[in-house]
Amino acid sequence: MDKALSRMRNIGISAHIDSGKTTLTERILYYCKKIHRMHEVKGKEGGGATMDFMELERERGITISSATTNVSWQDHSINIIDTPGHVDFTIEVERSLRVLDGAILVLCSVGGVQSQTLTVDKQLKRYKVPILAFINKLDRVGANPFKVKDQIINKLGRRAALLQIPIGLEDNFRGVIDLVSLQAVYFDGPNGEIVRREEIPAELREEANRYREELLDMISLSSDELAEAILEDKVTPELLHRVLRQATIQREFTPVFIGSAYRNKGIQPLLDGVVNYLPHPGEVENIALDLDHNEQPVVLQADPELPCVAYAFKLEEGPYGQLTYVRIYQGKIRKGDELFNTRSRQKFKVGRLVKMHADHMEDITEALAGDIIALFGVDFASGDTICSPGLNYTLTSIYVPEPVISLAIEPVDKISSDRLSRALSRFTKEDPTFRTYLDPESRQIIIQGMGELHLDVYIERMKREYKVEVVTGQPQVAYREAITARADFDYVHKKQTGGAGQFARVTGYLEPFEGSYEFINEVKGGHIPREFIPSCDRGFQASLKKGQLLGSPIIGVRVVLTDGQFHPVDSSDLAFQLAAQGAFKQAYKKAKPQLLEPIMKVVVETPSEYSGHVFASLNQRRGIIISSVETGVYSTIEAEVPLSEMFGYSSVLRSMTQGKAEFTMEFLKYSRVPQNLAEELMEEHRQEIEKEKGK
Amino acid sequence: MVKKILSSKSPVKLLEKSVKGGLGPGNLGVFASRKGVGKTACLVQIALNRLVEGQGVIHVSYASRVDYIIAWYEEMFKNLATSENLQKAMETHDEIIRRRVIMNFQQGGMDTEQVLKGLEALLVHGNFPARTIIVDGFNFYLPAAADVKLFKQFAVEHQLEFWFSCSLHGDDPLFDEQGIPFILKDYLDSFDIIFTLENEKDRVKVNLVKDHDRLSLKKLNLELDPQTLLLARA
Repeated sequence: MDKALSRMRNIGISAHIDSGKTTLTERILYYCKKIHRMHEVKGKEGGGATMDFMELERERGITISSATTNVSWQDHSINIIDTPGHVDFTIEVERSLRVLDGAILVLCSVGGVQSQTLTVDKQLKRYKVPILAFINKLDRVGANPFKVKDQIINKLGRRAALLQIPIGLEDNFRGVIDLVSLQAVYFDGPNGEIVRREEIPAELREEANRYREELLDMISLSSDELAEAILEDKVTPELLHRVLRQATIQREFTPVFIGSAYRNKGIQPLLDGVVNYLPHPGEVENIALDLDHNEQPVVLQADPELPCVAYAFKLEEGPYGQLTYVRIYQGKIRKGDELFNTRSRQKFKVGRLVKMHADHMEDITEALAGDIIALFGVDFASGDTICSPGLNYTLTSIYVPEPVISLAIEPVDKISSDRLSRALSRFTKEDPTFRTYLDPESRQIIIQGMGELHLDVYIERMKREYKVEVVTGQPQVAYREAITARADFDYVHKKQTGGAGQFARVTGYLEPFEGSYEFINEVKGGHIPREFIPSCDRGFQASLKKGQLLGSPIIGVRVVLTDGQFHPVDSSDLAFQLAAQGAFKQAYKKAKPQLLEPIMKVVVETPSEYSGHVFASLNQRRGIIISSVETGVYSTIEAEVPLSEMFGYSSVLRSMTQGKAEFTMEFLKYSRVPQNLAEELMEEHRQEIEKEKGK
Repeated sequence: MVKKILSSKSPVKLLEKSVKGGLGPGNLGVFASRKGVGKTACLVQIALNRLVEGQGVIHVSYASRVDYIIAWYEEMFKNLATSENLQKAMETHDEIIRRRVIMNFQQGGMDTEQVLKGLEALLVHGNFPARTIIVDGFNFYLPAAADVKLFKQFAVEHQLEFWFSCSLHGDDPLFDEQGIPFILKDYLDSFDIIFTLENEKDRVKVNLVKDHDRLSLKKLNLELDPQTLLLARA
């Protein structure tokens, strides 16, 4: 095993918003001696934490973009990928998770497992990422790490145990007891940088033994060797470390660490945990698809001597041009190498190669399998795969959801207009859930995304990074149309205006379909020649782009083509496409189309005293309240609410609960718009069309 | 509004008809049995009956996770739709979800006043039109007479009917000679209707032991289907 590889870690820090993730990251950087002074997140001293280098994030106190940074701890090289916490930015989280080998899941010792934690945890499980849990904020009033550990077991369904217990809590939180080495650990010096290990205080010995038993009980399920050693009372810290490492990497067990990043306590043992229990790149299986062999899966080896396979997971525009963050899965990348982008099918030469340390970078000449680095001067989109010439692999493309909201924007002047196109092309490359197009009817630029906040952030970034001022319209919900009944068509397209004529006839029917679109050809006896069948398919697909109710895309249609007719001279590809479009138009109204709207799963966490107001506010928004879970002080209310009703909800919720409640929302499904509303929407649409015509 | 979808001969209606005038607003009813006999199945059927008739239901649970409770409703609805040959089952299903809210109160440290406050928030402030409240998992073995009185008071005040489940445990005998569970004797004044479920030769039989002011054991001609847990004629 290559020594450099076994001393490498790629980790992420995932958390519920406000659980102290950024402070934790910043403390980790400090103890790894990369930065000399610590800042607090909200930028009180004008500094801002090191990872949040985008100005906007600094202002909001949250982390939006996934920067990566490299630190060393105990002779190990750790790449930390900072992942955003808000649901509106999940594509960023998911893209980051793709390149991680392990993660720290941060939980608040007061709030415990919250709705966002569940989302993040689901993502970690989907990408099979081994994790350590860190229960933060033990200095807070109401801190209860034992309760949070139970929630990790009950709510997240993980087999977990505390590796440490606290010495004192809240104001009195002084240090931790390490249950593996059975020592008390204190953090001295002005910034907690001196770790002092001592004997366990007598009054805590019994408790320590009890929780060590619990730890041994949990972990012995993963190892017969340990189970035997427990019986014979011969458990050594080395054996325990080994079993913990193995069980954590195989995702059978989640070690739970505790501390307070803000009070500089518990960070160094957590870093030891990263080195001891999270896998190195060679211990994680990564699979690519071979495009030359029918996308056959190929297991990649973290061996620098093999041909290179790497993944571009993040783009950033810095002052020196575009920076592309790359994770190398196999082989190595050297300055001057010639490599191949399998999506764009283009070869390129590796120019400048850098290693990122929060906001400064270090030039390097080569990087090996397992590492995360950044490239300058290459034109990539995020999600691209890079290979040595001769290989044609792609790393499984990650799932990209369809946008649910759109917004018309207009630059205020000509200068802004030029910059705007640069900004938009950058954003769409960075974030596949952010899309943009020019509406041919209104001549407006439309941007689309996953939620109000998502688009807000890009509008802000336009202002800050590109100095673009735009006027925005009202956010528009992405409606869909769907048919509810079967309808037959029999359509003849015929045109004779001198020169070659056009003739095509198509017969068949439309019917509702579970998926998005299906085309079935049942034409017999060559009534439509085989070469024109795809033309029909294309014609029908073109019709799906704009429904007749609201001009929205149509989903859930199966087209069955049963018969037709052609003319040896006048039939053509175009004629059949137009016939299909005519046929669709003819049948669509008969198929009883209806309007669908995106329904969001909304989870509100509120102090119980405000739950009545929250119920009322969700009810007013045509919400269906699914459940309410009460824990005494807090209520977690889950509801299904149409997206069109959720605009501005965050400020409503804030003022209703004095800022004490928060909510998350994600796309759930498309569902029928109530009749009266659908009619209103269609009437508005008609009027708009009239207005356009009037112009 | 979906009304009278279940036929008047449907067993769940027979169950309610076996009682003088049904439970009625302001009253409390209870199903008592040992664990795992079918109390939740009975409660969910009563709730579904209300829901398909267009009424709102709040399901209060002390122990189960929300997804378990939802699974109960899904399963029982599926069985009911099949056995009653419901037309437009999917539409009915979507309709009834709108009228049901599940409230989950975590065990321990949660007093009845808080539970009622939560209910009031939903009913009054949230304007949720429920008339039936299902309470599953309430522990009658804790000294709870005062709590049950609070529920009763709340039921009268808001004109609601409450259906409870009461899980019996301990050594036999659990019932007195009239068939009343010993544990419920402390609460007799507050409960208007008491059903018990009894395992008899692999069948689960339903008994009525308190019917408003009448206290006497009446073996009903109803049992739970062992496969679907639906109420059926014996």
